[in-house]
Amino acid sequence: MPQSIPPRPSPPHPRADGLAKACGTERYAADLYPPGLVWAGAFRPGVAHARVRAVHTDRAQAVPGVIRVLTAKDVPGTNLQGIVHKDQPVLCEDKVRHAGDPVALVLAESREALVRVLGLITADLEPLPGVFTPEEALKPGAPLIHDGRPQGNILLRAVIAKGRAAQALRRCPVRLTGVFHLPMQDHGFLETQNGVALLTPDGVLEMDVSTQAPFRDRFEIGHALGLSPWNIRIRAPYLGGAFGGKDGATVQCLLGLAAMNVPGRPVKMVWDREECFLAGYKRHPATLRYTLGAEADGRLTALRCRLVYDTGAYAHLGGEVMELGLEHAAGPYRIEHVRLEGLAVYTNNPVAGAMRGFGVAQASFGFEGMMDALARRLDMDPLELRLKNALRPGDVNPAGVRLTSSVGLVECLETVRTHPLWTGRRQWEAQAPPLTRRGVGLAAVFNAMGYGRGLPDMAVAKLELLEDGRFRVYSSVADMGQGNASAYAQLVAQDLNQDAGAVELLQPDTERCHPSGSSSAGRTTYSFGNALLKACTAMRVKLLSRAAMVLMRDELTSLELAPGRVVHPASGRSLALADLGRLLSRDDRVCVAEFLMPVAQDPPKTGTAFPIGFPHLFFSYAAHLARVEVDELTGRIRVADYLAATDGGRVLDPQRFHQQIEGGVAQGLGYALMEEVALDQGRILSDTLSTYLLPTSLDLPDTLSLAVDGCEDTGPRGLKGVGEVGMNGPLPCLAAALASITGQRPDRAPLTPERVLRALNRKPRLRKQA
Amino acid sequence: MNVRLPVTLAELFAALEEPGARVLAGGTDLLVQLRSRAGAHGSQTLVGLERIRELQGITATDGVIRIGAAETHASILENRLARSRLPLLTAALAELGGPAIRNMGTIGGNACTASPAGDSLPPLYALEAEVELASRQGLRRMAISGFIQGPGRTSLERGEILSALLVPQAKGFDLHHFEKVGRRSALAIAVVSLAALIRRDPSGRVLEARLALGSVGPTVLRCPEAENLLTGRRLTLASLKPAAAALRRAVTPIDDVRATAAYRRQVAGNLLLRLAVLA
Ligand SMILES: Cc1cc2nc3c(=O)[nH]c(=O)nc-3n(C[C@H](O)[C@H](O)[C@H](O)COP(=O)(O)OP(=O)(O)OC[C@H]3O[C@@H](n4cnc5c(N)ncnc54)[C@H](O)[C@@H]3O)c2cc1C
Repeated sequence: MPQSIPPRPSPPHPRADGLAKACGTERYAADLYPPGLVWAGAFRPGVAHARVRAVHTDRAQAVPGVIRVLTAKDVPGTNLQGIVHKDQPVLCEDKVRHAGDPVALVLAESREALVRVLGLITADLEPLPGVFTPEEALKPGAPLIHDGRPQGNILLRAVIAKGRAAQALRRCPVRLTGVFHLPMQDHGFLETQNGVALLTPDGVLEMDVSTQAPFRDRFEIGHALGLSPWNIRIRAPYLGGAFGGKDGATVQCLLGLAAMNVPGRPVKMVWDREECFLAGYKRHPATLRYTLGAEADGRLTALRCRLVYDTGAYAHLGGEVMELGLEHAAGPYRIEHVRLEGLAVYTNNPVAGAMRGFGVAQASFGFEGMMDALARRLDMDPLELRLKNALRPGDVNPAGVRLTSSVGLVECLETVRTHPLWTGRRQWEAQAPPLTRRGVGLAAVFNAMGYGRGLPDMAVAKLELLEDGRFRVYSSVADMGQGNASAYAQLVAQDLNQDAGAVELLQPDTERCHPSGSSSAGRTTYSFGNALLKACTAMRVKLLSRAAMVLMRDELTSLELAPGRVVHPASGRSLALADLGRLLSRDDRVCVAEFLMPVAQDPPKTGTAFPIGFPHLFFSYAAHLARVEVDELTGRIRVADYLAATDGGRVLDPQRFHQQIEGGVAQGLGYALMEEVALDQGRILSDTLSTYLLPTSLDLPDTLSLAVDGCEDTGPRGLKGVGEVGMNGPLPCLAAALASITGQRPDRAPLTPERVLRALNRKPRLRKQA
Repeated sequence: MNVRLPVTLAELFAALEEPGARVLAGGTDLLVQLRSRAGAHGSQTLVGLERIRELQGITATDGVIRIGAAETHASILENRLARSRLPLLTAALAELGGPAIRNMGTIGGNACTASPAGDSLPPLYALEAEVELASRQGLRRMAISGFIQGPGRTSLERGEILSALLVPQAKGFDLHHFEKVGRRSALAIAVVSLAALIRRDPSGRVLEARLALGSVGPTVLRCPEAENLLTGRRLTLASLKPAAAALRRAVTPIDDVRATAAYRRQVAGNLLLRLAVLA
């Protein structure tokens, strides 16, 4: 459904949330302190794997200010949460499976009392042998994390195959292998997991919560606590960051349980930073094994790989994350023969789940590492090698999907190829100051958009003409800071030819808005935006036809929308939208429309282990370049320059577009340079922001973000999602730069000074490229 | 929790006699410590230093710069006297924490925390600074290296505070160099740091070298062996290497979540090699 080009060039569109956030007046869930508040907190014994013999709460129950101490036996319903697989207890009864597992929930009159009570609960635990790497978990006879599963510790195993990889590899003149290790990453959002809940006198559980999936939360909470989802109302104010970490219940089920025990009183739960590390979801650590086969001229022929993702103690979205990684594992390239095998494996580590670049950030290190190694082996320019193999429109991708969607990777690579940061790289490298080595790296990456086949990626938008002639968008997709809400306001203002200030936004509220999927998967502006534009079309017809009656016109084409009015240019007469707002009944002032994301037709007959979410049809693409300086004495890396050329379809708003790219690159550089949740036997060693390091502004270069000229015909105004693709480039890009310096491909992230120094001190193994 | 804000030293010493009283300067170490023992500070009294005139100010007498213990890192960095006469110290303070921490944190707090990673300490050791301690009994002075006894341990007696740092200006030293290796460029605890002061004759031969290393042992460490190895030599990679090896032998680093002992040891020596390109 191609959309028309905007009626006039877009003026710079201010972020709808900019002023309130800058002034500190925006109310996040964490800012809510309704009167009569009860504080809730979880008791987590901190042991990675143990049988729970008893939970002792007697001393805790005696503390002044304590209201209730609840344990598993107080949980109605299934006591199981989870998005796809329900395997995670709200409160553990017989077993804890990771150090963050809770066994009791405390309700107290004050925060101070809560802290005191939590300090007095003890758990009688019988330690069980734990498994802390997928390798251990896969060994025969390994301790089982979950009982009664025929697949043991394997959550999901899947294969995506095309052609005959094994045979093709045997025939390839050039064959390379590689192993890659990726760390656990934390989302590092500012606003930790939190919410406020209330059980109303008519039995409705209301919750204001920092969540990416308000509509789905109702089902997750309902299932766990034995409530009807229709008696649960969720509101999702702007989030202070999420990056995937608030997709799926965090505080929701605990908070619901708490509220059910103090009917009529609001209950607040806020995780502090330590609890956020301990109990929050993480990016999956992974180990990737690759074999790549190519022709002597650099054409890729065959690829085989095995990706193993450590999902931690519970499934959460482990299978789905592994799926997306697997679907991207062969890179954005034409390869005829592939056999991609993926495993998501349970361990007693912290629970892994969704995070920006959902499985793909890991895989990108693998396929780009292999491309770089191939360029070195063949003495080929790494950019030309990628261009030669890059997917083009109409190609069949490695997962077997014919790309009827927009594909702009070649344009991204060409943008880099002609850029002075690339063309001048040799000279820049040669001018390295003393005790400093310089290198330039490149990466081509991509990231799917939407849920994929088998899971309807649906959005339902509601648009209302207000009585004063302005418009209200009932947003159904949470804004975690990425700016989708602003995009909705902009789409409406432009489509209906109104001033930016004439559109107001209502943040998701399951009672007032319509179900529209989660804020995830690069889908927020694409899916909801498409639905919203349909609603705008209906609204336009409505406004013109109602105005026609007043203005006495028998043809709608003679009328136009202008800011605040419907005008009849021929006569100069007009009708104010404020008058229409009063003229129409409430029912007539509302337009609702839906959009369902298209899926791949003729899906390949592979990946059968994925009943939902495979394959994908739409992807954003990018080519990244990094200029890197390494200090020979300390191994410290300084990223001097960074260029990201991105195909995200047409750009709706340059500011928000580049913010997504720069933010993704910053988070990706953190992943590349320093971020790692350090673990010892399932216990988190880096559980504060002084030991878990995120990059500061001094660690980041000024990222130059360029958008290539693209258009996705099915997208609202031609756009695709760009929230994730920027995350995937920095690690492979820096690894490539480093390899050009040391002659060795890094096989482990993050690229810490210590690892870099070790690599500098080793004799080069690979030939330096001419 | 009680908070006292005395204005005079006499009031301060009285307040410090309250049970559970603790000195609070900028609070950037103390409040972090207290937070990790949540719920346990009901009976605590915090005695703030910020209103006491005697603990502020930066003055020079006979080549010794006196820095009031409650001076913040930011105010020292803004001070012309400190910047021109103590470039080694200000180079280190410029890398301490980030802007917010430098606005709150004090040099006295940094010394009293007595962390081997305290960024002001390697320069203070190299400059052979003294501390001035004050109590009801009066003042006493001692070398910074005697004041700091181990991680988190100082020579402060009960009821005694650090009132000032007395830092000799390093006259005649022509190379003042500080380098900190952290895991990131700001808000990072040092993994290794080096403060170097070098005095040379007109031909470039070293007359005197002072080298102090941070984060590679229980306290900041001077290394006389390496210092002596440099004496009489010009600063070239070749002449620095034996001294770097001596530094690596002298350090006693540990493994932690930030770096391994092996890395700290190697880099402790490597940092000295930087002098070859500065000279
Ligand atoms: C985010 C962050 C980053 C940091 N980064 C760095 C860094 O890069 N480098 C670094 O060295 N440090 C760093 N620190 C630690 C801290 O900021 C410094 O050590 C600072 O100088 C402490 O000074 P303060 O005034 O805040 O001390 P406070 O916290 O007020 O006091 C620290 C201790 O010293 C005692 N004390 C303070 N002043 C006196 C006095 N005059 N007499 C007697 N006892 C006293 C207190 O009782 C307390 O025990 C960081 C801290 C944080 C929170």
